[in-house]
Amino acid sequence: MSKAWKVLCLGAITALAALGLVACGDSDSSGGSSSGGGDVNVTMTSFPDYIDPQLSYTLEGWEVLWNTYVPLLTYKHEAGEDGTQVVPGLAEDMPEISADGKTYKLTLRSGMKYSDGTPIKASDFTYAIERLFDVQSGGSVFYEGIVGASDYVAGKADTISGITTDDKTGEITIQLEDANGTFTDLLGLMFAAPVPPSTPKDKNATNDPPPSSGPFEITSVDAPHTLVMERNPQFKTVQDAGANEVADAQVDKITVTQNKSNSAQVTGVEQNNIDFMVDPPDADRLPEVQARFSDRFRLEESINTYYFWMNTQEPPFDDLKVRQAVNYAIDPEALNRVFGGRLAPTQQILPPGMPGYEQYTLYPGPDLDKAKQLLAEADPSDKDITVWTDDEPDRKRIGAYYQDVLNQMGFNASLKIIAGDVYFTTIGNASTPDLDTGFSDWIQDFPHPDDFFRPLLNGENNLPTNSNNFSHVDIPELDKKQDELVQKQITDEGVTDDYAALDKAYMEQAVWAPYGNEQFTTFMSDRLDFGQAYSHLLFSQDYSAFALSN
Amino acid sequence: MPGGEVPLHLDLSGSAVGLEGVEGRSPWYLAYLRLRRNKVALAFGGLFIAIVLFCLAGPLWATHVAGTDPNTNHITDTIEIGGEETDVVAPNGTPLGPGLHAKYLLGADQNGRDVMVRLMYGGRTSIYIGVVAALVTTFFAVLVALLAGFYRGWTDSALSRFMDVIWAFPVLLLGIALGTALAVGGLKLGPIVIAGDSLWIPILIIGFVYVPYMARPLRGEILALREKEFIEAATAQGKGSWRIMFTELMPNITSTIIVFFTLNIANNMLLESALSFLGAGVQPPNASWGTMIADGYQTIYTAPHLTIVPGLMIVLTVLSLNVFGDGLRDALDPRAKIRLES
Amino acid sequence: MGRFIAKRLVGMVGVLFAISVIVFLIFNVIPNSDPAARIAGKNADAELIARVNDDLGLNDPLPVQYVTLMKEIFTGQLTSYSSDLNVDEQIREGIPATMSLCIGAAIIWMAFAIVFGYLSAVRAGGKLDTMLTVLALIGISLPVFWLAAILLYYLSFRVQLFPTGGYVPLTEDPAQWAYHLLLPWITLAVLFIGFYSRLLRSSMLDVMNEDYVRTARAKGLSERQVRTRHVLRNSLIPIVTLFGLDFGAVVGGGAILTETVFNINGVGLYAGEAIGSLDLPPLMAVTMFGAFFIVLFNTIVDILYAYLDPRIRLGSSAV
Repeated sequence: MSKAWKVLCLGAITALAALGLVACGDSDSSGGSSSGGGDVNVTMTSFPDYIDPQLSYTLEGWEVLWNTYVPLLTYKHEAGEDGTQVVPGLAEDMPEISADGKTYKLTLRSGMKYSDGTPIKASDFTYAIERLFDVQSGGSVFYEGIVGASDYVAGKADTISGITTDDKTGEITIQLEDANGTFTDLLGLMFAAPVPPSTPKDKNATNDPPPSSGPFEITSVDAPHTLVMERNPQFKTVQDAGANEVADAQVDKITVTQNKSNSAQVTGVEQNNIDFMVDPPDADRLPEVQARFSDRFRLEESINTYYFWMNTQEPPFDDLKVRQAVNYAIDPEALNRVFGGRLAPTQQILPPGMPGYEQYTLYPGPDLDKAKQLLAEADPSDKDITVWTDDEPDRKRIGAYYQDVLNQMGFNASLKIIAGDVYFTTIGNASTPDLDTGFSDWIQDFPHPDDFFRPLLNGENNLPTNSNNFSHVDIPELDKKQDELVQKQITDEGVTDDYAALDKAYMEQAVWAPYGNEQFTTFMSDRLDFGQAYSHLLFSQDYSAFALSN
Repeated sequence: MPGGEVPLHLDLSGSAVGLEGVEGRSPWYLAYLRLRRNKVALAFGGLFIAIVLFCLAGPLWATHVAGTDPNTNHITDTIEIGGEETDVVAPNGTPLGPGLHAKYLLGADQNGRDVMVRLMYGGRTSIYIGVVAALVTTFFAVLVALLAGFYRGWTDSALSRFMDVIWAFPVLLLGIALGTALAVGGLKLGPIVIAGDSLWIPILIIGFVYVPYMARPLRGEILALREKEFIEAATAQGKGSWRIMFTELMPNITSTIIVFFTLNIANNMLLESALSFLGAGVQPPNASWGTMIADGYQTIYTAPHLTIVPGLMIVLTVLSLNVFGDGLRDALDPRAKIRLES
Repeated sequence: MGRFIAKRLVGMVGVLFAISVIVFLIFNVIPNSDPAARIAGKNADAELIARVNDDLGLNDPLPVQYVTLMKEIFTGQLTSYSSDLNVDEQIREGIPATMSLCIGAAIIWMAFAIVFGYLSAVRAGGKLDTMLTVLALIGISLPVFWLAAILLYYLSFRVQLFPTGGYVPLTEDPAQWAYHLLLPWITLAVLFIGFYSRLLRSSMLDVMNEDYVRTARAKGLSERQVRTRHVLRNSLIPIVTLFGLDFGAVVGGGAILTETVFNINGVGLYAGEAIGSLDLPPLMAVTMFGAFFIVLFNTIVDILYAYLDPRIRLGSSAV
């Protein structure tokens, strides 16, 4: 896609979306208040890790919290790529960024209140960021680049000096150590959503979540079994302040329940006892659901990549030819079947939907002969390799497939299966023996391509423990390119093209063997309006789009 | 449930095995005659042998009939059934079911592997684990029983307390905990190194947890035999402790050991399948009947044969061992003093 | 007697202590199960992990960690590494489901075992006996989880006679409670029905040859009266003993497979999840919970036996 066309496209879509939203809002205010909206029940296999905006770091948690805690900025409530656009949330406008890219200025809308009636103040943002560090959130890592954050963590300062706020005017100024093109994205994550100072600062608030600023508030939590979301009575104050990108609720109450049996959930939705299941139906039930309920089931895109990592520092995968051979040998279609038909084939790092994605194919295949030939040319001395995967059923099957392919290529591969909860820390620990190659996937934290390159492929992140750079990739000139690009804004001219080129540059080195983008699902009862519901690329199902069908 | 639910047996009778004292013919010959009359037990013993042979024939079937290894994937392959090209694994992931075709006689699994071939190879693993783990259990149980029963006093106390600890351990919890934990790094005990995917891990876990179940009743027998005159006589003759244990005491509990051993194999196979089902037993891609059920259970709705077939094999094998073991007990011990039923 | 009971109780505490130490050690010598790294999230840096480690006390020496953990178990303050939830609370919440499952299954297995065993014994050698023996042998040869899976597949999915698993609290809806538990009860009971009925059969056959039974017959009691009043009653003693032990074992972890397949939110399911994620705090607590029940019922049986049969008490070391 050319740049000009893309800009045009984006503009048109934005305009359309704005119109659509306005229309939506209208029908809401009339329909919502009179009919009462109704109750919706949702099931998920794993309860959210935390019901706490600063702590939650799972898809389940983000799905629930997206429409509960609104950050200064937020993401558009739109399906597809439009949803990756950052728009003003509690802030009046997009940030004013200084020329050096280090200073962000925002203004909080005035007159807004949390669900308990407490006014929302600019200093609540500071409180939230400080809280992020105090509760040792997994998300705190993203905000370490704020000036004074490290002193605050070390206890050398009582507050983060790089954030200044004025509760009267609502002004918020954030200083960064270095320019960071991902920072607007980061401001749109719930990690940075303001919470009132009544929230315990250094404690997980799951059992008594802070009052909300979004269309829903969480009225009761019984972790890890159930939680109830109800309309936020004060949400009108947020709307009146002009936050029209924050969609309003169309149902009165959503009850989220954990149900460990995927199959029972499928049956529940089929029989209209459950309105929506968060997890995709198991591969086992999927064919039946697709065949019988096509009017309330569909596959949904999501931004992620499934790939095999190969340790580029050790034989045999230190040889480019060997890594290319693997890329030729694997068959994305076979893996899609093993996965139950929810893996769209790919051979590149960035997934569709991510800015910078441009489709290409470097290793047409599957071509086992070509793979064998490359392997013969490389003639690695070490052919005894270990293939790693975790113990989730579909990943076990992926591992078994991969091991078999490697054996057919001429390796002597053995399979190692690790409990899912410790898998990534095990393969991310350089001292684990026999880390040759294996399964991995990456689901975006936020829709900025840097989130795919820096943690996964940057030489700086080739860490001894807890590394995500499983291939131990260390290519200094590409690292430099990453550093250069991240200083710019994604909307700057040529940035997305440069990211696309970076993607290709890494795949020319065959640092991974990518093979698929997992698709999520929407499967709903008859009671819900299927046409209106959609899955957001970042936050999955948008609960504000839930409406009763009539 | 194997383990956790295998009933505990109190041998409180304190009496000796009643095999000595039959005049003329050796007790073993009498037992043989009794067993020969028990046609049902013999038939089931034969069934067990047939199952073992079936499993041993795996490589033959694989090369000559199915034309594939147990672990080779054929996901995107097609085979001709009734003149129609059929996917081994459909695009939505549903594998081929059983049918009258030499390849995939019992269908394919989700990785496009031939279930018949995997069933035969898997059986080898399951039976192998059952038998070797039973040997491990028997070895330690006999050792513990001999030492505790012969030396009595503090040796007995110490060993009995140790058995108490294993006994009180929730067997399945212990098994899964060890299995999951060891799958990461394997086991390193001084010079002994066992890889995480080694069959020795489930074998040792299973062998170990059942030791008290066999050791307790055996100890009871030894304690009783210890009081008999022939032991006193042996001691008087100046025979050493080890000699008495192995030449005087052990032969007298051999029949009990044989029965326990047979039934123990059956229990071990059940426990192996349970551990594998919970992901802590045999590690993929190696097949065992338990792992086959565990994998197949994921698709019980679209491909029930993946769960049913290996399960039936376990039932048949365990049943054959139970019935045969039962007959063996009746033959060796007509007064039914051995109380390990399942 | 008092001394004997005291001795058994001390032994019980000793066994539990030994088990807790073993579980603790198993999971501390395993490499790569670093809970701090998991808590700190997928993008964590070394500094954050170090702080989490400090917070969890994972930098303390092992004995100190052990003492802290045990203290937290008994004061109800233990929280899991992976979910930050209170462990004791989770176990308490699981107890009603586990007890519903186990008690219901126990009633079924005892009732059926007694009926089948009794019929087998009085018809020993007959056709009914043969049939019941075959059924019993099949029962003890079934893998529990497989039986559960097959029942679920045929009766819940194909025929849709039963719900597809799950648990409804008794207090919420007694009818649904029983409806949801019926298949799990049967599954769990099958093995024991097979085993107990055979044990009762052989026990009854033994008792029938005892002198006092002959005496009873000689006194002119009807065969039926002899069987129920004398034979059955006396044959039940070993069964009831065994029942105590098995019930302890089932509550203490034996029901994990049934709970897993039928998706019953009991202690077993919780234990399975904790093990799968190598999450030490719940694992310790659940193992202790299970071991406690097993040891408790063992001890009760020992004491009862000693009460009934004084010879045991005098023995050098009771089994």
